Amino acid sequence: MRIELKKFGTTLISRQSGKEAFSAFQSTIVGIAKDENVEIDFDGVVTFSPSWGDEFLTPLLNQFGDRLVLFPTNNPSVKITIKLLEDINKRQFKIN
Amino acid sequence: MEEKLLNIAEAAEILGVSLDTLRRWDKNGKLVAIRKEGGVHRYYRQSDLDLFASDLIKIAREWTTEGSELPSMFYCENSAVFQTRLVKMQNAMAGSGLSENILPLVVAVAGEVGNNSFDHNLGKWPDIPGVFFGYDISKRQVVLADRGLGILSTLSRVRPELKTHVDALRVAFTEIVSGRAPEERGNGLKFVRRVIFENPISLFFRSGDAELRLKKDNNELFITRSQSVTRGCFTIIEY
Repeated sequence: MRIELKKFGTTLISRQSGKEAFSAFQSTIVGIAKDENVEIDFDGVVTFSPSWGDEFLTPLLNQFGDRLVLFPTNNPSVKITIKLLEDINKRQFKIN
Repeated sequence: MEEKLLNIAEAAEILGVSLDTLRRWDKNGKLVAIRKEGGVHRYYRQSDLDLFASDLIKIAREWTTEGSELPSMFYCENSAVFQTRLVKMQNAMAGSGLSENILPLVVAVAGEVGNNSFDHNLGKWPDIPGVFFGYDISKRQVVLADRGLGILSTLSRVRPELKTHVDALRVAFTEIVSGRAPEERGNGLKFVRRVIFENPISLFFRSGDAELRLKKDNNELFITRSQSVTRGCFTIIEY
């Protein structure tokens, strides 16, 4: 399953909106097959921050582990955020 | 052509302050009104209002030190207002042609600093809730300030050994707090430091009597003590 983050907005900044996005996504998670990957597409996102990412990506990483796959992006705010979240969680994201 | 004069009600509407505030600012010299010869009514030039509103640092500093009334264009009472204005700034920066290598980072840094104020002070604001948020696209400057608890008071709840503002600022910008106990904790200021180390952005951050300056390619934390103590946090981002 591919998640297009731009559907949650182009400016993904606060913990609060990250929490809301994760909460809204819960109903979709139920339908994900046991061997299915969850792919994160950053295309169209302008600004991304660790607060939002920690509320959305960290719980997905904990839940899906290596089945969570991030699509590569040139957006510098995404790249620095991913690196910081990896340091905080002491765990690597799988990048496609 | 002579510039059209605005009456006090029009000026108040533009700046987003009350008539009484403008009268007080006129008396104390903060924003002096014009009086027509022999008249008693106050008038303002648009250019004077623009000049007044362009001094973001002065307005933010006076708000944090004195709690003076803030022009509504700069005041974000809650995080929803802040988010909306952050997107507006993002759009304005994009419209100005700012490179997409820098734009997301400036917005993310401003977002983390501003959200930090809300996340750490929600339900605990000592007097005035919310943040000052102003930006000047032509000066390439963003200013944020709050009248919250400040870094030392916030961090000492989880790090009771912290005694000075300088030590608190060092921890806030360097140590990754992964336990997230007893409250959820952002690592936004570590993000800010990483972004600035790798990019042509500079930051001035003050909380209490501690001042920090960050710039590209310099991973040293220059933290000095200021003569006066600032309420909450005060941030200048330049790019």
